[in-house]
Amino acid sequence: MTIFLTAGSIYLVFILNEEGPLRILFNLLTFAGIYGLAAIGLNVHFGLTGLLNFGHASFMGVGAYVTLLLIPHAAGREGEITDTGLTFFPALVIGIIAAALFGLLLGLPAIRLRGDYLAIVTIAAAEIFRLLVRDLESVTGGVYGIINFSESLQIYKPEFLINFSERFELNSSQMWVGLLSWISIFIVLILLRRLINSPWGRALRAVREDEDAVRALGKNAIWLKLQSFMLGAGIAGLAGVFLAFNYGSLQTTTFVPLLTFYIWAIMILGGVGSLTGPIFGSIIFWVIISETDRLAQLIFENANGQQLAGVRFILVGLLIMLLMIFRPSGLLGKKEELLLDVKSS
Amino acid sequence: MIEQFGNGLLLGIIISVASVALSLLYGVTRIVNFAHGEIIALGAIMTLFFSNPIDSKILFLDRFAPLGMNFSISILIAILICGIFGGLLEIFLFRPLRKSEVGNIAVLVVTIGLSIFFRHLYLLFATGRVQNFPLELERRQTYLFFDMTPRNFQVLIAGLIVMIFIGLFLSYTKIGKAMRAVRDSNELANVSGINSDNIILFTWIASSMLAGLAGIFQAIINDVRYNMGFLILLLIFAGTVLGGIGTSFGAMVGGLLIGIFVQVSVALPFMEGHTEAKNAVALAIMILILLFRPQGIFGQKERIS
Repeated sequence: MTIFLTAGSIYLVFILNEEGPLRILFNLLTFAGIYGLAAIGLNVHFGLTGLLNFGHASFMGVGAYVTLLLIPHAAGREGEITDTGLTFFPALVIGIIAAALFGLLLGLPAIRLRGDYLAIVTIAAAEIFRLLVRDLESVTGGVYGIINFSESLQIYKPEFLINFSERFELNSSQMWVGLLSWISIFIVLILLRRLINSPWGRALRAVREDEDAVRALGKNAIWLKLQSFMLGAGIAGLAGVFLAFNYGSLQTTTFVPLLTFYIWAIMILGGVGSLTGPIFGSIIFWVIISETDRLAQLIFENANGQQLAGVRFILVGLLIMLLMIFRPSGLLGKKEELLLDVKSS
Repeated sequence: MIEQFGNGLLLGIIISVASVALSLLYGVTRIVNFAHGEIIALGAIMTLFFSNPIDSKILFLDRFAPLGMNFSISILIAILICGIFGGLLEIFLFRPLRKSEVGNIAVLVVTIGLSIFFRHLYLLFATGRVQNFPLELERRQTYLFFDMTPRNFQVLIAGLIVMIFIGLFLSYTKIGKAMRAVRDSNELANVSGINSDNIILFTWIASSMLAGLAGIFQAIINDVRYNMGFLILLLIFAGTVLGGIGTSFGAMVGGLLIGIFVQVSVALPFMEGHTEAKNAVALAIMILILLFRPQGIFGQKERIS
């Protein structure tokens, strides 16, 4: 059913775009890969452990900023290239670890707070992160952002991708980011599958279902929650790095709460608690997003770009509401995997 | 610093009114309403729609003209519309959800969807431009020891009067007592003959009208934007949390304090050149309060489980 829907939505791209459907398709597949990866991370928090995390954008932001600041980059108004001597992959590993540590920091309140309070704390912490990054212009470039960092990743671009892109007139740099994000998805999914079926994964789901029972069995429920927070945050950090490379420049405005809500929509669409769900959710979501723009241009003739972008958000909001009301387990989610109906005590 | 104190009071009164509204709703329905900011923006946008001169075609893709009505009447109508909006939300969205026993967390996510939906509907309808109410500019004057325009001073006084009114209303009227009863225990209130559905409907209407008023205050002091409510939503949460979640009196003081904190923090020595980060101070206060004194300043311990 889900695979059918996904294939159908991709087919839709070909119908709706007579000129250059391939270009549009690969563009949205790149975004789908990156956002899907982030949604997998969020699913570790919410789907597997039941942690209500609304600060996902900040994990992506930490990963992106730490990684980019370690490789050659130009930050701020002057735009001088600075360099720490690290190449991309070590920097990426440090970035992911930094995101995971930030997850640990944000996870600490999770011990004390119940669901709705945790939601407020995480969204507030994400905003604090964003405001601080914007404010510390000397390090992060502030509102001027970070540019000129793409080379560190693009030097690894394989030959066949360049040839392929040239044949179909595609953007080979974006293709490379997209390919890497999809490879990451598969690696992360394989690792997660092993983890979830391990005793650790079962304990995690037990925390979600009944924390007291886990505690009574002698497991450290708090530490399990923190581990889950770190794991999901690390995955989000990886996604954040790819997002930055896909844009080619890093801006603080990327990590607004709306990014978190996008990821939430994808996760709910794909199925809360489903491992592969976010991938399909992400593809369907991005097809909807990219085709909405086209439709919106037809319906609202003299709207400006900002308003046209608004139309897709209207749809996202509607999607979140309707799914939550009528199909809270998502398109692919299993009913029994769902904790949402539990009243928070 | 005293200069900033006046600004802080103004921001405080906006947050305070909005926090009371949020806190009332949370207390009675247990809904953490992320769409609160959109009701705030609705108040301002509706006022703009009714009061702006007819010849300024600013609304809905430059096709609609505003109505050009008297400003005070516009405010009243806008507040009424906010009330109706809140009531409709309760009747058509949140009551069915409550009846089908959807969990609090799911309802929270629904309010986020609602917030995104309406915010961008405003963007489409009221454009992304920053707009102002059709009021002439005024010169700042000195009241006691702080400077503000006469109009902003009126807003401050009006806000304080509204606060006192709410306080009296909750303490002494029958419906106010019923609201507090439902807040403390829905079942017990039902048993003692209170129709909790009606009380919750009334709470939605009252909360939305207050939110709309806060939005109008904000628009008079600053300006009208489609996302004006979302921009201060987290500060409203901070005010509510600081005063004690679910306590109306706490929310009043908490909101005022947060406003003053935010504005005065600009004048602190270590914040020099970091005015952009002023909201971060308020949010950090909120997180610390939640961690170390989750019942807030005025809350009682047993209210938070």
